[in-house]
Amino acid sequence: MACPTSARAALRASIRPLQTVAASPSTSTSSSLYRRHYHSYDHPPPPGPFGATESAILAAAYKHVPEHGFTQTALTHGARDAGLPDISPSVLTNGPFTLIKYHLITQRQALAERSRQLFERDDAPAGVGGKVAALTWERLLANKDIIHRWQEALAVMAQPSYVPESIKELAALSDEIWFLAGDTAVDPSWYTKRATLSMVYTTTELFMTNDHSPDYVETGKFLTRRLDEVKSVGGALGNIGQWVGFTANAGINILRSKGVRI
Amino acid sequence: MFATRTIARPARRLCAAPQCLSLARSLSTTPAIKAQHASSDATSGTSTPKKRKPLTQEQRDFLSSALRVNQSGELAAVLIYTAQGPPILRKHPHLRTLMAHMHDQEAEHFKTFNKLIHKHRVRPSALYPLWSVMATGLGWSTAVMGREAAMACTEAVETEIGGHYNAQIRTLLEMVGQWEAEGYEVGAEFTDLLSTLRRIRDEELEHLDHALENDAKAAEPHWLLTGVIRAGCRGAIWVSERV
Ligand SMILES: [Fe+2]
Ligand SMILES: [Fe+2]
Repeated sequence: MACPTSARAALRASIRPLQTVAASPSTSTSSSLYRRHYHSYDHPPPPGPFGATESAILAAAYKHVPEHGFTQTALTHGARDAGLPDISPSVLTNGPFTLIKYHLITQRQALAERSRQLFERDDAPAGVGGKVAALTWERLLANKDIIHRWQEALAVMAQPSYVPESIKELAALSDEIWFLAGDTAVDPSWYTKRATLSMVYTTTELFMTNDHSPDYVETGKFLTRRLDEVKSVGGALGNIGQWVGFTANAGINILRSKGVRI
Repeated sequence: MFATRTIARPARRLCAAPQCLSLARSLSTTPAIKAQHASSDATSGTSTPKKRKPLTQEQRDFLSSALRVNQSGELAAVLIYTAQGPPILRKHPHLRTLMAHMHDQEAEHFKTFNKLIHKHRVRPSALYPLWSVMATGLGWSTAVMGREAAMACTEAVETEIGGHYNAQIRTLLEMVGQWEAEGYEVGAEFTDLLSTLRRIRDEELEHLDHALENDAKAAEPHWLLTGVIRAGCRGAIWVSERV
């Protein structure tokens, strides 16, 4: 890279406005898994998940992932490209996992811009369900360049110390997709929708790592089948406010409609 | 909680006349009124554009749990009034307008917080179904006990909720005041939130007034009913701020 300093500044600028991941360590409860922090529209966002130097190295290293995988080798190449050959090992404590996280976070954050492009077109999907499907597909396609390295990455993510953060990032992706798709439900379907989409996404992504069909048509079909299943089984997609039907309130209303005087 | 009681309750006890109730309200919102002026000065635009300060992790946590607990509380309020309706109105049809009015206000509060939760990307309470069941149970059981018990339920709930909103308003005013003191701008997001909370708080206190006007104090045993319900409210608030 000819001019590492300005490249670094540009990288920093590209990272800064993006949202941070939750800072607190995750525990096993569902509520902390889905920890969300108040998103302000009036105030500048908090600092991103990576420091400036870290971002510079990671962005450069990311370009080496197709060839070297999510490995220390890619990071070393990246540090050299960013003009920081000596300090990379000390900056990136979790090495390869940090590079994986960089992929997950930047690709999730890129969805906002993609959704704007997708949904302003005339052939944009109309309903929330269609938008969720389209965004999930977009996110899967963002794996294209590294999909042959993704099984190794999944093995790293499955290491016990990385599992909580990996799952949290998956939850953040599901949340992002439902939010960008314009789903406004804030009842308990909020949880079922995110949990269901997380499952659909993970299985489809795993399928994609073994898919050699042109343009991943088989993965596309697989995704459609999974989403259809979800729709037919639980109606978790698109069915807003269903959960209230399970409350005692509905129970009382049913009894009242049957003429019970309560 | 205790601070609230000392703010809202004694004034009420000292004087039963309606004009004193408005005094009690203005007492508890005195700092609020001051800051409203201050913040409208800040937003109405000085010539130099001021900057806004990034929210700290602590502030974002506070805002998340505040919106979450408010949503749960308003859900509960809607369900309490819905469950109370038929048993009470069967025996006391003249309360129909009042009950409908309070129910509709709660429904609007609930809608307001649903919108805010979605907009600011806060997750709803994981115990939403539990709050639904408990609120319906509370509303229905106090209603079958009679008008006085139902009103005592409203009295207890609205006392806790009113105090809870006051506490939130105070924390927000501190936040906003700090920004202003440091020369930062306060945007519409926070001035709007403050006025929304104040409006809803005032409506909750009106519900409290209605309950007292309708013999909430005559419920037997009043001390036990309100004591248990208020303890329950505090517990529910504590939990839904966290879960
Ligand atoms: Fe309310
Ligand atoms: Fe109320």
